[in-house]
Amino acid sequence: MILRVAYLLMRAEAQALKGHLDTLLLASLEAGPRHGYAVKEALRAGSGARFDLPTGTIYPALRRVEAAGLVSGTWTEAGGRRRRIYELTPAGRRRLTGERAAWRDFASAVTAILEPAP
Amino acid sequence: MSPLIGDYIAGLRRRLPAAIADEAAGGLTEAYQHHLAAGSGQDDAARAAMAEFGDLDLVAGEFTRQAPGRRAARLLLATGPVAGLCWAAALIGSRAWTWPVPVAARAGFGAVLAGAVLTLLSAATSRRSYQRTRLAMLASPVILALDATAITAVMLEAPAMTRALGMAVAVSLARMSFTACTLPRLATR
Repeated sequence: MILRVAYLLMRAEAQALKGHLDTLLLASLEAGPRHGYAVKEALRAGSGARFDLPTGTIYPALRRVEAAGLVSGTWTEAGGRRRRIYELTPAGRRRLTGERAAWRDFASAVTAILEPAP
Repeated sequence: MSPLIGDYIAGLRRRLPAAIADEAAGGLTEAYQHHLAAGSGQDDAARAAMAEFGDLDLVAGEFTRQAPGRRAARLLLATGPVAGLCWAAALIGSRAWTWPVPVAARAGFGAVLAGAVLTLLSAATSRRSYQRTRLAMLASPVILALDATAITAVMLEAPAMTRALGMAVAVSLARMSFTACTLPRLATR
């Protein structure tokens, strides 16, 4: 029973995360261009290892935001290894700014309700 | 390199287009080398990298769900009922059955349309097979040609251009323009 509840909670968190994944990907590229594995590591490190997505699912998500024009990907070669590097487009930067403002509004409203008044 | 990683990469290459498989393989290799550098043996590093990367079915399935062919097929299918209703209303209103169009041409148009819709359905519902999403590349030009044929038939055979016919032609032109913009992207992925 406890395992089932834990599993359901993990699934609920994974679903919630999926809904915000595009914004998180954009945020992970805000500091500069990165390849897929570095994006995954940035999400893991930035969330204190809480958002440890399967690396293989980061790549299709990056392709999706690329198709939406929010990031651009280019192949580079360094040390004999080819990598696809992603960076924010101006549209991606604008989307990130908007999503960040919307999230702050939402989070402050929820916090105001959840936190007991002093 | 561990044969476990080689097998996984071979699986990626079997199931995904080369450019996508190359990128995913690069990420897996990166994780593998990260674990090797941390002191793991070859097979332990391979298992850890594969566990981090995700099951091959999961990864191929995610790429398939994001495939441009699947999305294009879904959009074309979603516009199908709107276009179909516009054309049905326009053709009935213009008594299209009295136009001098051979029965064989009408039947051929219907059969090709049914085939294209079934092909798009197959691409739109694919969950694991990236190859199946590429069927959209075959069906999209057919839909484009059918729209063009319908518009040409109206220009040649309709006794008068009614408002309903004009609307149906406009819907088809919009769909043709979407298809023409999407096709180059489908061809490269």
